[in-house]
Amino acid sequence: MRSISKVFVLMLLLLMGVMVFAASSKDYVIVGTTDKFTSLDPAKAYEYLSVNLLQNIMTGLVTYVPGTTQIVPALAEKWDISQDGLTYTFYLKKGLKFSNGDPINAQAFKFSFDRVIKLGQDPSFLLSDVVKETKVIDDTTFEIDLKYPFAPFINILAFTVAYPVDPKVYPADQVYNGMPVSSGPYVVKRWVRDVEMELAPNPNYYGDPAKTPTILIKLYQDANSLYLALLGGEIDLAYRTLLPQQFAQLEQNKKFVTYVGQSPFMRFVVFNVKQDPFGNAKIREALAYAVNRDEIANKIFAGQVKPLYTMIPVGIWGSMNVMPSQDIAKSVSILQSLGYSKDKPLNITLWYTPSHYGSTEADLALTLKNQFESTGLIKCNVNYAEWATYIDYWNKGVMGMFLLGWYPDYFDPDDFVWPFLQSSASPLMGSNYSNPTMDQLLTDARLVSDEPGRTALYEAVQKLMAKDFPYIPLFQGEQQIVAKPEVGGVVLDPVQIFRYYLLYKK
Amino acid sequence: MKTYILTRVILSIPMIFILLTVVFVILRILPGNPVTAMLGPKAPPEVVKSMEAQLGLDKPIIVQFGDYIANILRGNFGNSTVTTLPVIQELEDRFPATLELTIFSMVIAVLIGIFFGSFAASHYGKTVDVMARIYSIFVYSMPVFWFGIMLQLIFGVWFKILPVSGRASPFMTPDNLYTGLYTIDAILNGQWNVLYDALLHLVLPSVTLGVVISSIFVRMVRSNVLLSLSSQYVISARSRGVKESKILYAHALKNAMIPILTIMGLQFALLLGGAVLTETTFSWPGIGSYLVERIRYRDFPAIQGAVVFFALFVVVVSILIDIINAWMDPRVRY
Repeated sequence: MRSISKVFVLMLLLLMGVMVFAASSKDYVIVGTTDKFTSLDPAKAYEYLSVNLLQNIMTGLVTYVPGTTQIVPALAEKWDISQDGLTYTFYLKKGLKFSNGDPINAQAFKFSFDRVIKLGQDPSFLLSDVVKETKVIDDTTFEIDLKYPFAPFINILAFTVAYPVDPKVYPADQVYNGMPVSSGPYVVKRWVRDVEMELAPNPNYYGDPAKTPTILIKLYQDANSLYLALLGGEIDLAYRTLLPQQFAQLEQNKKFVTYVGQSPFMRFVVFNVKQDPFGNAKIREALAYAVNRDEIANKIFAGQVKPLYTMIPVGIWGSMNVMPSQDIAKSVSILQSLGYSKDKPLNITLWYTPSHYGSTEADLALTLKNQFESTGLIKCNVNYAEWATYIDYWNKGVMGMFLLGWYPDYFDPDDFVWPFLQSSASPLMGSNYSNPTMDQLLTDARLVSDEPGRTALYEAVQKLMAKDFPYIPLFQGEQQIVAKPEVGGVVLDPVQIFRYYLLYKK
Repeated sequence: MKTYILTRVILSIPMIFILLTVVFVILRILPGNPVTAMLGPKAPPEVVKSMEAQLGLDKPIIVQFGDYIANILRGNFGNSTVTTLPVIQELEDRFPATLELTIFSMVIAVLIGIFFGSFAASHYGKTVDVMARIYSIFVYSMPVFWFGIMLQLIFGVWFKILPVSGRASPFMTPDNLYTGLYTIDAILNGQWNVLYDALLHLVLPSVTLGVVISSIFVRMVRSNVLLSLSSQYVISARSRGVKESKILYAHALKNAMIPILTIMGLQFALLLGGAVLTETTFSWPGIGSYLVERIRYRDFPAIQGAVVFFALFVVVVSILIDIINAWMDPRVRY
């Protein structure tokens, strides 16, 4: 027995004596995240990390200038748009090559666009809704014909769904699961599914080469693991998503640098206007007046989100505050005019999901419940369902009032109002809102091509929304990054493209 | 012996069939459509429809069940709805991680169980014995993930002597994978630094899981050794002046091992259950974390595959243990 304890003590001492090597090489940056990615085929990629990885290993006809919402040519040299807004002609840069040496030409673009539409995967509607046909004019000239004029189309072309793939590698009739062929700054060097991914510079990239020879992206199961990995020195940078308290603590920690930037991500309450009592716009209005956004932002999110008073987030042109601030007296008077009293309160149920928007979601639902009930005339129940069930419930119209979030597909006001307010799109959002005036405004805003004209239309859209109250916008998210001080090149982008190729170690 | 083994194998067939049916039914009863869970809110209805057809979810449930059983008999678990890769391939990728974690945890649990349990039994009623009992109750009631996070915090963050999560440090995976077990592959490749790194990564997760499982072992070993210690042969050995430590380890423990072995086999199932939580806590890329992840997406083929895989694993291990038992103790065979 004595010898066993000796061995045990010896082993313990040995273990204590061992120091884990701290990653200190300048040749790589290790990024940690809790996001998951499922596919790196542009025809299928749709959730955040899949899209973000593609934005670092591939590129499209056009792209955003880092840190801005300005669109500039990428693989295209320039482009023309016909007078009627129906034909887009792109002139490609000369001598473009994929990472494997195959040419990036008009044929590759035609193949890729047609393939996205044919495969009909998650993001395909972005092209199939508007694109009528694609044409190869010559090797470096590519033409896209639209079904109708659609002003935000150029923004869609900056999204991953419009990235070209190598026709020799990607099958035309099925999703590709192999190693991606790159057109962007990085190539995938190694990929251990659900564990990590290693990126190395693409020698055939047309633009400025990536700043760091190796980027390693490590995937963590949850915020706690990510937080501990950061504190334990396993990663150089954490991007998406720590808990608000963890981020607040790291802001005080001198061993790390925190970055905060605007995000177009937003959260809101949806009313299913086909379900009583939410069919009554007055009731929706009374509920909207009861909401205190500052309390939500400060109490639940430690000030790490910004109150939002419209459906178009701040930072996207056309955004204007239209929703009322909290006014309990006003809310009470509306409810009283509808015949509600302390003895006969308005009975409602608010739904949330604990498994999609993080652990703060239950607090958000409870805070809203308390705010509604502070009128004294509302009795609000809170109910929840796990995410997969939640989606099912909203598709089937089970929930009358529920919490949702939105991350845009393209950076144009259209993507923040059309899917919510247009009468054929709103059922998908679980709202079923329909108003012919609104439909007209939304359609007009798609057809007009000049920004001032469109701005006026979107202002009218937002004002009308604040009359009908089919949604209550709550707050706008914020991008957060925590990094070791030696990591440079962190750019927080308003369109939320995180660029690994700009990262380097000082 | 042959008939015994054959009977055990045949008996496990209806068990697996029942399990397959239960998993299938539960997944269909649960609200939540895999297609909408996967495509999210923005998917147009036509896309949802075509995807359902593609996955065979539009067929009557009984036809789906028939297809599912027929495919599994052919060793085909289908393709994941999330990644479109064959489930069997994904499980093969993930299984070595779970196996490695399970083996190391089992070793730790058995070591703690045998030493602490027999030590407590030989000091019946004394402080060590009381401590052993408190230990097993405390550890048994302790949530795995909580214990894991505590260890991460203490050894990974405060002392910084052990890695917090994952199977290997960056750029420290074995060059060639033969078995998928990093420790074995590192040895086969002769990469000693990789082996060292893999072992370091194994410490916290396998201690977490091993300690939690050890509670049952401590109790079992203790009570079985106690039983042996009061038997005739121990009394006669004592009267002959045999050393107490020899009585304990060579006589009492050896005879107490048979029931303990059976329990160990049964614990394998518990171990795999614990692996789900441990893997999640330590971002360990095994089948447990795979299962949790895919439940979120309602990835029917993947969930079915993972559960069936787990079940088969438990069945195989329990048959093996039964065979070892029968071989050690002839009474079992007849």
